[in-house]
Amino acid sequence: MKTNIIILLKSPKFIIGLLIIMIITGFILSYPIINKASPIEMVGMSFEEPSSKHILGTDNFGADVLLKLAYGTRTSVYIGLLAGIFATILGLIIGLFSGYLGGIIDNILNSLTNIFIVIPPIIVLILISVSLEKRSTLIIAIIIGVTSWPWTARAIRAQTSSLRHRDHVNIAKISGYTTPKIILFEILPYIASYVFMAFIIQTAAGILSEAAISMLGLAPENSITLGLMLNWALAFDAINVEAWWAFLPPTAIITFLTLSLYLMNAGMDEIFNPKIRS
Amino acid sequence: MNKLLLNVSELTTYYKTRLNEKIYAVDRVTFALESGKIIGIAGESGCGKSTLALSLMGFYFPPLYYNSGSILINDIDIMKIKYASLRKLFLGKEIAYIPQSAMNALNPTKKIFKFIRDIMKGHDHKLPTSKIKDIAINRFRTLNLPERVLYSFPNELSGGMKQRVVIAISTILNPKILIADEPTSALDVSSQRIVLDLLKDLMNKNFVQSIIFITHELPILKSISTDIMIMYAGEIIEKGKVNDVIFDPIHPYSKALMGAIIVPEYGMKNQKLTAIQGTPPNLKNKLTGCRFAKRCKYVIPECTKTDIQDKYFKTRPYKCIFDYTKLKEINKYEK
Amino acid sequence: MNSIVKKVSNFINKRAYLKYLLKKSVWYIITFIFAVTLNFVLPRLIEGDPVSRLIAKMTAGTGSDDFKAIRDNFAKEFGLDKPIIIQYFIYWKNLFSGNLGTSFSMYPREVSNILSSAVPWSVALMLPAVIIGWLIGNILGAISAYIKGIFDRILLPISLIFSSAPFYAFSIIFLYIFALKLKWFPTGGGYSITMLPNFSFDFVVSLIQHYTLPFLSIVVVTIGGQAIGMREMSIYELNSDYVLYSKLSGIKDRKIVRYVFKNAMLPQITGLALSLGTIVGGSLITEIVFNYPGIGTTIFTAIRNFDYPLISGSTLLITIFVLLANFSIDLIYAFIDPRIKSAQMEEV
Repeated sequence: MKTNIIILLKSPKFIIGLLIIMIITGFILSYPIINKASPIEMVGMSFEEPSSKHILGTDNFGADVLLKLAYGTRTSVYIGLLAGIFATILGLIIGLFSGYLGGIIDNILNSLTNIFIVIPPIIVLILISVSLEKRSTLIIAIIIGVTSWPWTARAIRAQTSSLRHRDHVNIAKISGYTTPKIILFEILPYIASYVFMAFIIQTAAGILSEAAISMLGLAPENSITLGLMLNWALAFDAINVEAWWAFLPPTAIITFLTLSLYLMNAGMDEIFNPKIRS
Repeated sequence: MNKLLLNVSELTTYYKTRLNEKIYAVDRVTFALESGKIIGIAGESGCGKSTLALSLMGFYFPPLYYNSGSILINDIDIMKIKYASLRKLFLGKEIAYIPQSAMNALNPTKKIFKFIRDIMKGHDHKLPTSKIKDIAINRFRTLNLPERVLYSFPNELSGGMKQRVVIAISTILNPKILIADEPTSALDVSSQRIVLDLLKDLMNKNFVQSIIFITHELPILKSISTDIMIMYAGEIIEKGKVNDVIFDPIHPYSKALMGAIIVPEYGMKNQKLTAIQGTPPNLKNKLTGCRFAKRCKYVIPECTKTDIQDKYFKTRPYKCIFDYTKLKEINKYEK
Repeated sequence: MNSIVKKVSNFINKRAYLKYLLKKSVWYIITFIFAVTLNFVLPRLIEGDPVSRLIAKMTAGTGSDDFKAIRDNFAKEFGLDKPIIIQYFIYWKNLFSGNLGTSFSMYPREVSNILSSAVPWSVALMLPAVIIGWLIGNILGAISAYIKGIFDRILLPISLIFSSAPFYAFSIIFLYIFALKLKWFPTGGGYSITMLPNFSFDFVVSLIQHYTLPFLSIVVVTIGGQAIGMREMSIYELNSDYVLYSKLSGIKDRKIVRYVFKNAMLPQITGLALSLGTIVGGSLITEIVFNYPGIGTTIFTAIRNFDYPLISGSTLLITIFVLLANFSIDLIYAFIDPRIKSAQMEEV
């Protein structure tokens, strides 16, 4: 484990990813402290150009884009992380049970997974969001998580069923360990790195899903997210008035966030999945 | 008169690890192979026997690298020629290889015949497909393999069948030297028998002229090979006729190895099985002297001071600080 | 003799294939029923009758009774006064008769009518873009796996950026650079608003001009994702036992590269099927950015106008399309990849 971390820190991909994440985190934590104003306060006219007063100009409401960006990124990351956690836990439970128990339970769970994999998650997202009376950030995060578990479930199932007949698992079985105990001590430690990698990918996917659904006009209410900033920019024709500061920064942040997560994942993949290493 | 087919001298190859360390898995290996011989290479797992098998092909790719030494086939050092001519003139044609896991050795999306065609065209691109077909059908018939196999995909075949097919494919060009890397290790006993018979059949029909057979199962070597080389930590430590090495091993390691294995043979009944204590040395470290010293019962301080040169008992080379008579003496004394 | 052997083995394969086809069909029918049920249940599961709720939302503040007539119409269409199970059957019956209800916002236009004019645009945009993106991505991925070093070092990071950027990021950037700054292409729409659809040369030129940017932005992201997948797949194949064996058997390198490429590419077909959902979702938003007259823009407008029947119809249609695409990919794949033929066909 220790050597793995050392090798991980030698992987340029992982380091670059981590660095980007740290810079973004630093920004969203520190900027609201420097600029104490409310992110929805009107501080100027709409679409004011970047100036020394407003580094990234103002948006269609005349609010400071940079400050909004800090709050928006915060919400988007929060939604991404929560969605990632929900998706990973759900996928982990379903994958573990399916892969370890096998038989009829595996058949049912696996079929369910396969069904959900072919139904586009955005459709389920739209259907649920449209009919919600209130869309809080928490609810949005949960439904994103709930719609994206099949990938994790499938990967975990494959890993688990390959572990199921290993010697150490059989020994634990013969020794009379209970199923939860075997799963916890004989299976989980072996797939821990996979689970963590799945979590990273799910978080990135969560951030992208939030942006997608917000751009469709189904953003969480009473909040600022990166997707919502883009949605307003499009709705108020920021592109046609060439107010690049209203739509490029949120796009860039989304791209860098997901890029850094993918990079970290790729770096870890090379360490834990030696086949790909070349 | 037996013809010299392969002459390997001082061959050294190494693996490069992720952290750029070099592991010398084959260290100054020297031996010769004549027609009609089946040389068995035995040793514990990790001793470098599979690496030696790969290294003999003269073709290296990461993480395995060539360090020094020569491999002479037809008086040509295959380490000194270009890859293109090595591929065309030697690989599969003079020297052929049967991999450790035949299960995955065949391209899963190619029918067996098309694979054979690619091999044969790779060595003679003018050969018409119809001719190749005749050759393949004939060869499969001669070796008692069903013809329909030629039109099958690899995963339509059973494990034993796949192994036999791989052997037939490897020898389709009548190579003079066949290197078989544990061809029986993944098979059940009856399939093992069939595969061994197939190899003998190839020798009898003169489709191959010599075999290097790698295994950790000595009983199999006993039944198929004419000579045995014992490998330990990258070195060949003893070589001789099959019965000599099995029933009268010289090197303390060989002795220990034979003591750890049952050979179904007269007079073996009273022998007690003993495990060899300790583990092989880590090849990452530069080793001087005898590599078995740490586990050897007869070790003396001189063993690790200088490198041990080959000694000979009659024609049998071995690598030990003591000579044959001294070793026999110690052995007697111990009993 | 030969041909008989061949025929027999073909026959066995054919039977296995038919069996596989049947099993897959049953699976997709189940998935289809499931998907339609989701379309029906999800909106109702949460807060009861979606139509009344949306109408309430629309009329909130206006206090108007004008919507009463519309509401009654919908109540009849959806059987809102009947028990939920009956509503479910009405939903199915309507679906099979091609009746997806009447739009709120474009009353009294039929949903099926609105969708049928949007679908060709979306299909014409997405299908070529995805196929071309898939092809280019796979070729680049294979090359970067095979020729390591500098090529890999440049191509991989670029693909990573391309695939981690949201689809619409490129739409927005392309729109900004090529349409607004450079003015090479129009900023949106399916064709010039000064024209009427006809088969004249000018109209086709206008179509292509409007098509290029949304098409490219889908292609670019698809390339990124596929190239990375293909690279990993190819490296995996390059390290496999059969490559070593082929090399040691003296097969030409060019041939072996072809083996690897084929074997890595085939699973990528499934990869495409599986990422189709994401690609479709992304393309919807690309349409919105370019105001392209396809399903994406239709959904966008429908959501803004609380046009429930139109939303529901669109999601249903997209689901059916994705299922059909997946089904076809599955069938083609099984046909061309022998690894599936013998192994998976037995168990599916």
